[in-house]
Amino acid sequence: MIVSRHSRLDSVTHCLRWVVFVAVALLVNFPILSTVLTSFKTNADINAYPPKWIFSPTLEHYRAVLASPNVNYSHYIMNSIVIATLGTIFAIVLTLPAAYAMVRQGVGRTWLLPIITNLRALPLIIFAIPFYFMYKQVGLLDTRIGLALISCIINIPIALVMFVGFVQDVPRELDDAAKIDGASMWKTLWHVVLPLSRPVMLAVFLLSFIYSWNEFLFGLILTTKSAVPVTVGATFFVTSRGIEWGPTAAAMTIGILPPLILGLFAYPYIGKSMLAGAVKG
Amino acid sequence: MSYSSFETKEQASARALLVPLCLFLGALLGFPTLINLWYSFSDVSFQNMIGTFVGVDNYVAAISNPKMWQALGFSLKFALICTTLEVAVALVLVFILHPLLIKRPWMTAILMLPMMVSPALMGVMYRLILNEFTGAVPVYLEMAGYAVNFLGRGNIYKTVVAIEVLQWTPFAFLILLTARQTVSYELEEAAAVDGATGFRSTFHILLPMMKPALVIVIFVRFIDSFRVFDHIYVLTGGGPGNLTTSISIYIYKLFFVQNTLGEAVAVSILLLLMSLTLIVVAMRLVVRRS
Repeated sequence: MIVSRHSRLDSVTHCLRWVVFVAVALLVNFPILSTVLTSFKTNADINAYPPKWIFSPTLEHYRAVLASPNVNYSHYIMNSIVIATLGTIFAIVLTLPAAYAMVRQGVGRTWLLPIITNLRALPLIIFAIPFYFMYKQVGLLDTRIGLALISCIINIPIALVMFVGFVQDVPRELDDAAKIDGASMWKTLWHVVLPLSRPVMLAVFLLSFIYSWNEFLFGLILTTKSAVPVTVGATFFVTSRGIEWGPTAAAMTIGILPPLILGLFAYPYIGKSMLAGAVKG
Repeated sequence: MSYSSFETKEQASARALLVPLCLFLGALLGFPTLINLWYSFSDVSFQNMIGTFVGVDNYVAAISNPKMWQALGFSLKFALICTTLEVAVALVLVFILHPLLIKRPWMTAILMLPMMVSPALMGVMYRLILNEFTGAVPVYLEMAGYAVNFLGRGNIYKTVVAIEVLQWTPFAFLILLTARQTVSYELEEAAAVDGATGFRSTFHILLPMMKPALVIVIFVRFIDSFRVFDHIYVLTGGGPGNLTTSISIYIYKLFFVQNTLGEAVAVSILLLLMSLTLIVVAMRLVVRRS
């Protein structure tokens, strides 16, 4: 009797947990859900009252967005892909060797590591004005490479923290064996550490790509036409004359899709990287 | 002797591995900071990009402008409210949902979707669904008998807070959930055997173990909300008036809208000093605790 009452209470709690989950999931994801649905509706369905949840989907808005004469959206998508990829590669190339040196030789570990980890806490707007003038002087305004450098700066702290955590987990015996064989530090890094780093490399790549893709402030300040990223370009569909709902929703959906998909794989690393920074930094 | 020279050689090549990173950061963060410092003491303008020395004029202009204090006040208040709400809600949700999520990672993934979206695009999406006439949310509310203008003067502050909280509570949730999941099953069992169940085990065992994670979440969310720019910029541009002008938007407006460059740079330097102070204080707290 007692047991059955207990288990009934358990199943009620279990149901309540599910209710909370569904409610929270719907609430936080509502704008995404609503925008994605709108992007597949015909104009008639978009204006329907009350809003329709079931309709026959159309791709007309996607065609309109990618062929828009006013907004060169496919070019902006390409810009974001190039900027995020380059920025991520730069960050990896700069931080993996540094992480190795810091962990194995302790160089800069006590001062440089904390400084770099804390960089992500600075408001980026502080650097907006000097960057504008610097880029203007050297011709990097409105270029993909210019924004890729910014992406790199933004991603250096998280990449360094994750690589430091990784090198700490590489058994020192492997290094020592390579050293006895006469390999220099560079060679050990290249032949021993790099092959082992594939999983963490993937994690860094995912996070870094997502953060770069989502960057907005510097895209807004440093580009006007040729290097405009998706986050800035998508806002061009919202004009003062009014909003074209279908194309805007389609543009939004394209703009949020890559990080959403990568995020499905990347989210556990976000938790781990944040906590690792605190324990080891 | 030979051993120590071998070690020195190792150290030297280790330093060499750090050089590219240091050079890069020096060129792209150190140098701009120096430019900023010089500009803050000069009469820089779009026509005169070198500027001539004018002493502390820019700082005087920055500090005596009440709008800077308004923007700072906005950012501080915004960060405090958002951080409190996010962390409190996330903590409660962790305890409710942990048993459900532990064997179903795909469910956690669904809750994480909002924080993968660019805050700027999130702002635009909310602008669409909150639109007074055609947005989904006002339409449903109207059907239920409520007329709410989310983007109007009276509600805009609550709206920008709500958007921030809805997008970033998942982040706080994820960090706290990760911390919660690292508390080992054995420890919970041991606590249960000792007679600590339900609220007692929550308050005496779980919460203390999650304390480092809590400190990190509070710090990261506070900093991020304090420097908020993206979603507010696309939603209101800082308006109506200066009602939603955060310190980041304030600097942006000084620079690109009003072209008062010197003042903008002076505010940047003040913001840098404040941020550094905050970071040093936070680090001291964390170090003392651990």
